[in-house]
Amino acid sequence: MVLAYLDAGSGSLIVQALVGGAAGAAVAAKLYWRRLAARFRRPQESGTEAPSPQTTDRT
Amino acid sequence: MTPPVPYPQNTAVRAEPGSFRDPANRVFHAGDDVLRGLREQAAQDWRALAATDFFPSLLAAGKVCGTEQVAPDLVPADDGGPWAAVLRHERIPFVSHPAEWSFAMLRDAALLHLEILTEAVPAGFTTKDGSAWNLQFRGAEPVFIDVGSFEPAREGEPWAGYRQFCQTLLYPLLLQAHLGVDFQPWLRARVDGIEPHQMRRLFRGVRRWRSGVLTHVHLHDSLANRHATTTGREVRGQLRHAGFSREVVLATIRSLTRLVRRLDWQPPATGWSDYQSTCGYSTADRIGKERFVDAAVADAGRSALVLDLGANDGTYSRIAARHAGYVVAVEHDAAVVDRLYRRLRGEGERRILPLVMDLADPTPGVGWRSTERAGFVTRSRADVVLALALVHHLAIARNVPLALVVDWLVDLLAGAGARLVVEFVHPEDPMAQRLIDNKPAGLHAEYRRDVFERLLGRRCVIQQRRELPCGTRTLYLGTVRD
Repeated sequence: MVLAYLDAGSGSLIVQALVGGAAGAAVAAKLYWRRLAARFRRPQESGTEAPSPQTTDRT
Repeated sequence: MTPPVPYPQNTAVRAEPGSFRDPANRVFHAGDDVLRGLREQAAQDWRALAATDFFPSLLAAGKVCGTEQVAPDLVPADDGGPWAAVLRHERIPFVSHPAEWSFAMLRDAALLHLEILTEAVPAGFTTKDGSAWNLQFRGAEPVFIDVGSFEPAREGEPWAGYRQFCQTLLYPLLLQAHLGVDFQPWLRARVDGIEPHQMRRLFRGVRRWRSGVLTHVHLHDSLANRHATTTGREVRGQLRHAGFSREVVLATIRSLTRLVRRLDWQPPATGWSDYQSTCGYSTADRIGKERFVDAAVADAGRSALVLDLGANDGTYSRIAARHAGYVVAVEHDAAVVDRLYRRLRGEGERRILPLVMDLADPTPGVGWRSTERAGFVTRSRADVVLALALVHHLAIARNVPLALVVDWLVDLLAGAGARLVVEFVHPEDPMAQRLIDNKPAGLHAEYRRDVFERLLGRRCVIQQRRELPCGTRTLYLGTVRD
């Protein structure tokens, strides 16, 4: 995949979910819910979870 | 897609110093032509773009600069090899910096950028960036110039240009609309615009509740800090996994559009707002001056580029535009320029470009090596310079020696034969006297008509001189010596 030449800024990408109306709010809620859930997840379970976001990016 | 059109060979091609950040394409100049070399991926993106419905519509409406494909060998190969495709763009008559625009100009530019995204996103396209430098003005009409910025969107990804949009367009507008602070010095100082953390410090306390500030400034800065060590690749993946979609991008663009439309700034009354009625001209003076300017520009030819320095409400820019190809109306008072722009925009004027600039401190070259964006003098190769009721402000109020003023005016002209129309306000004139009285006695003893005329004659052949009926102002038409 060809990535953009510009460093868009990680925070600048996330804030777009928060200003992106109802659809954006749903994305933001899901994003933070996943992050919250990940904190309480036991380390040995991580291998059985759905693919991590990092791995999904390698397409 | 339009087939490539033939193009004359053997024209010297030089790279545009401001076009290097995106390796996928680069802009070149060949004579008066503006060319863009595209690498293979960019050429594929261009072909896909040209085949859409939205892009030809934007071109036809003049919202994107005129673009056509030409033969790929018109731009010589460089270290990256031969160019996969080459485009030729419409030439913008005078390239300006966002720091030279008034509030309403910057707002119209921001709205056009958002409008273009609103058209592009549903068609599966986006722009790689979101900078104010993607836009220029054709007179009082904004135009999107960075055709190389269009690319097919990747589903599930936010707009990569959002931060640039904030820094170079939205934040300057917030500064002016909410705080009444002129944004031009901020943009002039930083080619990449104002950082979120700088804005956050300016919008503390109750100011954070002003429209758009909490989300686009405070939240934006908080998230930037919190995710400072997270890579863009990780965040893109997480957002895609959480269901980020094209609809969210469109909702963000719509939200930004609503916000920018709401932002407004009413130019305050300043000392220059009513200058034409307070400057002391009699009707006979005014008529004499208008006739002199009209005749001087009429003889310069239809394609002439005219710089009207100290343009105020644009009276003489309009007279020049009767004859010239393009007029740049430069004025240091941002409020006066904003009013002029709004009037010209309302009239659909495409040949008069109003700009904000202090002529005693003109825009320098900025960005990489100070050449990425050329300074005002480098960009100015005028056929005619109008300097009406200007010299006394530079020479007396700003202490610039008369010889330097004359040299600078001539430097703005294209070369031998170009025309300088200049008004010398005699030291006895009430307006000049007021400026002289603010300085120590004798400081401006050399500010005299005979001295000015001698200096002017050194650089120009004085073709005409006409004293106005008031007897304290003289107009000169000079042509630059070989």
